[in-house]
Amino acid sequence: MRVLGLILIIITSFFFTGIVFRTKSIFSGRKGRSIFQPMNDIWRLMRKGSVYSQTSSFIFRIAPSIYFASVIIAIMLIPFGGQKGIFSFNCDFVFFAYILAVGKFFNIVGALDTGSSFEGMGASREALYSLLAEPAFFILMGSFALLTGYTSFSDIFISIHFGSYISYAIVALAAYILIIIAMVENSRMPVDDPKTHLELTMVHEVMILDNSGFDLGLIFYATNLKFAMYGAILANLFLTPGKEWFLSIPIFVVVQILFAIIVGIIESFIARFRMNHNSQFIFALTSISLIIFLTVLLMVGKFL
Amino acid sequence: MINILLITFGISLIYMGIANRLSTCINVLALQGVLLFGISFIELIEINTLNLIFVLFETIVFKTIIIPLFLKHVIKKNKIVRESEPFIPDFMSVGIITFIMLGSFIFANIIEVANIRKMFFIVAIAALFIGLFLIVSRKKVVTHIMGYLVIENGVFILSLSAGNKMQMLVNTGITLDLFVSVLVLGVFVNRIGNTFEEMNVDNLTNLKD
Repeated sequence: MRVLGLILIIITSFFFTGIVFRTKSIFSGRKGRSIFQPMNDIWRLMRKGSVYSQTSSFIFRIAPSIYFASVIIAIMLIPFGGQKGIFSFNCDFVFFAYILAVGKFFNIVGALDTGSSFEGMGASREALYSLLAEPAFFILMGSFALLTGYTSFSDIFISIHFGSYISYAIVALAAYILIIIAMVENSRMPVDDPKTHLELTMVHEVMILDNSGFDLGLIFYATNLKFAMYGAILANLFLTPGKEWFLSIPIFVVVQILFAIIVGIIESFIARFRMNHNSQFIFALTSISLIIFLTVLLMVGKFL
Repeated sequence: MINILLITFGISLIYMGIANRLSTCINVLALQGVLLFGISFIELIEINTLNLIFVLFETIVFKTIIIPLFLKHVIKKNKIVRESEPFIPDFMSVGIITFIMLGSFIFANIIEVANIRKMFFIVAIAALFIGLFLIVSRKKVVTHIMGYLVIENGVFILSLSAGNKMQMLVNTGITLDLFVSVLVLGVFVNRIGNTFEEMNVDNLTNLKD
């Protein structure tokens, strides 16, 4: 039964981006396309062959596959309800963060390999933003570990319970931080606009300008999977462990759909920030997670 | 419940540091007024009518309605630029504010004062220093007033942290202080606006007899 989480995340990833696009089109007064249209686009890309520049080396060819593989491995660590993920060991959230970082590293190196100056610029921006988002994630998971006394994803999520009213505040703040981290890591609206068409202002899109066909499809699908993965972490905050599958699966699906709608609403109503405002916005996440950490320290009374 | 309100207050302090429009800062100040009302309303154990009316007057009427409206009026009348032009980049401000929070946490844990609740004390000290930092790091006179108001909010929480003793006296002092300061600074701001058109502190360095 350990594969249940993986299967659910993959199923969610088929319609996640579709729901985001549908929400955006409803808010802008359009009817919107089918929620499976992004998946159809990816499937169309996957059936095409890839074109490689003569100046690029083998790194450019393997980079999208490694990126995709890293996302899949990260998903295997996510627990579902009371069940562990496919891999589960102590401190696996560190492994989770750094396996995603490996994927991102290959994405960046692949972009640099093309020799285009625009792609190098986008790569540097993406590296900066994920560097700033990383401490927020670690402080958040660290304070959860301190609160529960365990260090692996499944144990942490099993033993987080709504004992006192202050844990509601902590979980709400954690949900906020995870949503914004998901937006930053997937290069969505407040930080980066996926629909922009000017290379100077792109962040993630400019890195994949040279990818085509199957590779581009893999990168797009990895974005869907990452969204579903962060949605699964969010859902784990609200799943009550030990319940039957017919309770936890609907909660999971509802949380994912709510997450997609929230992403759509954020993208509809927030304008993209100026480039120099991004770093302080992401760094403020670290400050907020530090407040969570201090609150947990006060709760468990382990300081001095 | 009080702890949740205090955490929200702390986050609003961080938000104050990265807000780059004056109207956002004013809205955050109004929000802080509401939060202070919530904290003091829960905190008052025996609610006599006089005390309740006084707290309601001080937080909701004064901090949430009158001062923000007055500041908006000053900004509109003097045609102040809507950006809060800081001396240092916003990224540094967020970092410094975070360090102030951390420092006040450590400070509150090192000095162990009896009769003072820790959470209140941390937020109060952090608000005091963040208010000072906002005053030091911003160019305009209006933002100085805002930093001053943040300090006042910190003093208010500090007075709550000591329990209910002499609360009325402290609150009266704070209100008088606030009233005079906003009045004086408002007159000051308006005068400078009439003389100099722009209201940066830079202009004050050129003043001579």
